[in-house]
Amino acid sequence: MANGTWKIARGKGSAQLPLAIVAVLAIALVLVGKAQSSLFDHARAYFSDWTSPLLEAARGPVKAVSNWTGGVGNYFDVYQENLRLKEDNARLRQWQNAALVLEQRLKRYQLLLNAVSDPSLGAVTAHVIGRANRPFLNTMILDAGKAQGVKPGEAVVDARGMIGRIFLAGNHTSWVILLTDLNSRIPVAVEPGNIQAIMSGDNTGAPTLETLGQGVQLKEGDQIVTSGDGGLLPSGLQIGTVAADGYIFRAVLLSDAGTSDDVRILNLKSPPEQPPAPSPNDLPVSAAGLAPLAPPAAAPTAANGASTAGQTSSPVKLLHPLTPAPPQATAPADPDDR
Amino acid sequence: MHDRIGFSIGSVFAAVIPLACGIFGALIANMPISIFGGHLPPPLLALMPVYFWCLVRPDLMPPWVAFAIGILEDLLSGGPPGVWAAAFVASYALVDRQRESFAGLAGFGAIIGFAAAMFTACAVAFLIATFYYWRFPPISMLIVQFAVTILFYIPGAALLNLIHRRLVGPLRSEF
Repeated sequence: MANGTWKIARGKGSAQLPLAIVAVLAIALVLVGKAQSSLFDHARAYFSDWTSPLLEAARGPVKAVSNWTGGVGNYFDVYQENLRLKEDNARLRQWQNAALVLEQRLKRYQLLLNAVSDPSLGAVTAHVIGRANRPFLNTMILDAGKAQGVKPGEAVVDARGMIGRIFLAGNHTSWVILLTDLNSRIPVAVEPGNIQAIMSGDNTGAPTLETLGQGVQLKEGDQIVTSGDGGLLPSGLQIGTVAADGYIFRAVLLSDAGTSDDVRILNLKSPPEQPPAPSPNDLPVSAAGLAPLAPPAAAPTAANGASTAGQTSSPVKLLHPLTPAPPQATAPADPDDR
Repeated sequence: MHDRIGFSIGSVFAAVIPLACGIFGALIANMPISIFGGHLPPPLLALMPVYFWCLVRPDLMPPWVAFAIGILEDLLSGGPPGVWAAAFVASYALVDRQRESFAGLAGFGAIIGFAAAMFTACAVAFLIATFYYWRFPPISMLIVQFAVTILFYIPGAALLNLIHRRLVGPLRSEF
């Protein structure tokens, strides 16, 4: 080997053809990936499932090192921090009491109005076993997957507010796309005023807000919650507050994805209420005080003859299009049977 | 015969080392564990073997190996498919065309050489991501990743040099 029996296969620039081929392949891969962004999803889910024991084993020591490296500066102002936290705690207790009173009052009003109750939420609690902050991806990996009932699209929250949503679920792990990620776009509502907006991540710490209505003006400090539009995310999840940044508005998030260790994955157990079917009284003819047209006197015999042999034949009743259909004896749909 | 078999095994082993180092670099860099609390992006460790062996032994780092390592980086990093594969191929093309210039660099110049390759990879990745998302992604994280990778290249080059000397064989310049 050392006496020169090895030969260099290529000299300068001799890789032109293979290089051109792999360049074409790379461009093709980008185009295919653009057309089908979930190209690698199964492999990624398999990889995170495969490495999850290692990630969970490394979680403790890495967290200790991370806390140490991130917390060295905090030792110098721990006394001031303690005082501030005590004040915050006292203030939050007052707010908690106020919230409890208002919650009870809201329940009474809903009973009085016979209002439709909010959809129930199921939740899976999961540990954060990995984080990745890369130029084109801002994500965390949880130790709950399809085996625990986690599905893509579900909201992920910590004790302070929404962190992101599931975008990839393996068997025992799932990937969360954070609200700050470049790919994150969710419908939100700004309170007070219920101003509808879209919150888009741009890989900075504060996602941007784009209002949907014309002439709507946001104010700094307004609360941002999920609007629930589309039915994927529950409405009313706390997200953050509005902050001005030049000519645009951003969301200062309540949650901190960098320090969250335990999160909840929320599952909308029942779909949003669908608008009721129109009743006969809503039809223009009935509303105008006119009687609906009577059905035809005789039903066609061909329709009766079409009943399947072996079944109890019943006369087929043809209804006028404006005649209300008789109520069907079907069991009410169970929202859990989705 | 025995020598021929021994030589064959040795050559296969030597050929596998650069690919294995690239795979190992991609795996290590993309483990979703960060001791910095996610504030810093991981270094692009997989590019180091591509640059190193493309420079010192291009016969052990053909273009398809750089492409395969790039695909693995895409797969594990979670970003859009093909971004790093194309970026690695572009970086490879730069080093392949300017090999004599890069090979003549030593000391601080060698780091500048790797920085040029890394800059090419980052620029291509940024352009493809812009096309992919149809808007300019923030460049700050890419700049930080560029800086972190350059810093990690200093011990990384020493380690790759050691691996090459011990496990692979002579450098290109020693033939």
